[in-house]
Amino acid sequence: MAVANAVLPIEEKISRWQLFRVQLSERGVLALFLVPALLVLIIVQGYPLVYSAYFSTVDWSLAKSTEPGAFVGFANYTKAFTDKVFLDAVNVTVVFALVATALEMLIGFLLAYLTIGESVLLQIARTVLIMPMVVAPVAVGTLWRMILSARAGLLNYGLSLVGIAGPDWLGNPNLSLVSLVIIDVWEWSPFVMVIYVAALSSLPIEPFRAAAVDGASRWQIFRHITLPLLLPVTLLTLMFRLIDTLLTLDIVYTTTYGGPGFKTHTLTFWIYQQGLRYFNISYAAATSWILLIACLSIAVVFLILRNRLNRRGA
Amino acid sequence: MISERNSRLLASLRTALRIFLILLSALIVSVPFVYLFLNSVKPSNEFLTVPPTIIPSRFTLEHYQLTFDPGRDTLSYLINSLVITSATTIISVLIGSLAAYSLSRLKLPFRLSTIIAFAFLIVRFYPKITTTLPYYILMTRLKLLDTQIAVIIAHVSLTLPLVVWLMLTFFDELPRELDHSAMLDGCGPLQRFIRVILPLTTPALLTSAVLTALLSWNEFLMSSSIAPSNAKTLPSAVSSFITDKGVQWGPMSAMSTVIVVPMMLFALFAQRYLVRGLTLGAVKE
Repeated sequence: MAVANAVLPIEEKISRWQLFRVQLSERGVLALFLVPALLVLIIVQGYPLVYSAYFSTVDWSLAKSTEPGAFVGFANYTKAFTDKVFLDAVNVTVVFALVATALEMLIGFLLAYLTIGESVLLQIARTVLIMPMVVAPVAVGTLWRMILSARAGLLNYGLSLVGIAGPDWLGNPNLSLVSLVIIDVWEWSPFVMVIYVAALSSLPIEPFRAAAVDGASRWQIFRHITLPLLLPVTLLTLMFRLIDTLLTLDIVYTTTYGGPGFKTHTLTFWIYQQGLRYFNISYAAATSWILLIACLSIAVVFLILRNRLNRRGA
Repeated sequence: MISERNSRLLASLRTALRIFLILLSALIVSVPFVYLFLNSVKPSNEFLTVPPTIIPSRFTLEHYQLTFDPGRDTLSYLINSLVITSATTIISVLIGSLAAYSLSRLKLPFRLSTIIAFAFLIVRFYPKITTTLPYYILMTRLKLLDTQIAVIIAHVSLTLPLVVWLMLTFFDELPRELDHSAMLDGCGPLQRFIRVILPLTTPALLTSAVLTALLSWNEFLMSSSIAPSNAKTLPSAVSSFITDKGVQWGPMSAMSTVIVVPMMLFALFAQRYLVRGLTLGAVKE
């Protein structure tokens, strides 16, 4: 706008009214640019959020009626906390998310440390290693079904060669969740690797130079310089992986389908079944809101932590 | 002398260990893919042999022919996936970069620009299952259930946050003088955006496009729930090969290969953009 004013003395014919109109249309057109994206956001996310909050408080099963029923307050929410199957799903999900995230952070970091560098071979290694995360999670499931299948699977064949009778990885109630962790770690450790490779490559040089001058050991440099510098990135990656593992659905769908029994019913899988298979709309909505609040709380906590860290660093 | 030899030995040991570990991880990553591909060209009778047949006795394309036979629905699922992914990518990058440009240049009152930007960001953080159910009901009411349009709109909403934030970062770095000088030449906002701003942000546009296409092609939750038959995409179709009677290994491998290979090639050729898109936000130069 400052420029438009600066032009004014040259183009003296432009009246204040005309200038006002130019500015108005300028801002108007720019505001119009926002409309399509906002519209999509409202139709698919905003409105459904409000709608599902509403019908989490009514009694509605699409199998019985096409219209929402009576208002029941928080009954659907309190029901969830006494529903053993739901609580089991919470348990399964939390264990899965914590173990998978921890392993992915650790393995991803190790992979980054192993493959960092600009040589062609290392770049090829990184290209190979990112493949699991670019393919569809549903297909990752089918892929691993062939590896883990009890009778015809590749893994048990490999084990039999060294004299071990392999278990039924996906069908054994004590192992099915372990198998899901293995699959998720295989798929997403590369994501952590990609982040850390970028983070490690963009670390400032000065602290390392100073440490080298002071004669610090490799371990000391790693422990007291590298790790603290990586803390902000670590927090963000941890947050992404924690939230994403809490929402795991696709690989469950094509490997164990929640089984055996309810042993691998993750929350998203359980809600998906409630809502789209049994059409218990209001109950599914209420439980999905419990999950939503959990996820947003995690995001808020991590973002606050990161902000604090940034302020301390500044 | 001895200590120098020792340290050199240690260094070469370290290198050897490093190479070994890299090869091991590359092996762990590639074996499932190779096995999938081998399974997709394996004759049906070799699937349930004990021990498993790893290298097929002969290579056959029967599973591909059977799965993508023009008389069967699976071919239309492939077409659905192609149409939905292309449309999502074009629409999402277009309206996402428009919105990002607006958010970057327009100063709305009450910090509205910041609030809107965060509204986009928050989509990344909550369970999509919460919005999938009401969206399903909404699409039923609008008679749009099981149409490509319903899936495209859903996928655009899922990918918009990514595009908006990526582009916002890039637009914020472009000097305002560019806008101003174009303005003096009499360019309106739209002309300025198309002729001046977009050409300068081609790498960012490509990054957004790569990530959007990837997400849309692979997406399962929303497409499987709102498109159960006519507008079905490949990821939701592949799960139908797992039935109560058992798994149809051949067709499942063939279809999985068709889902997996395009994105692997994509990652191979667009790796630079992919990695940049994934790390932006988490790592600031």
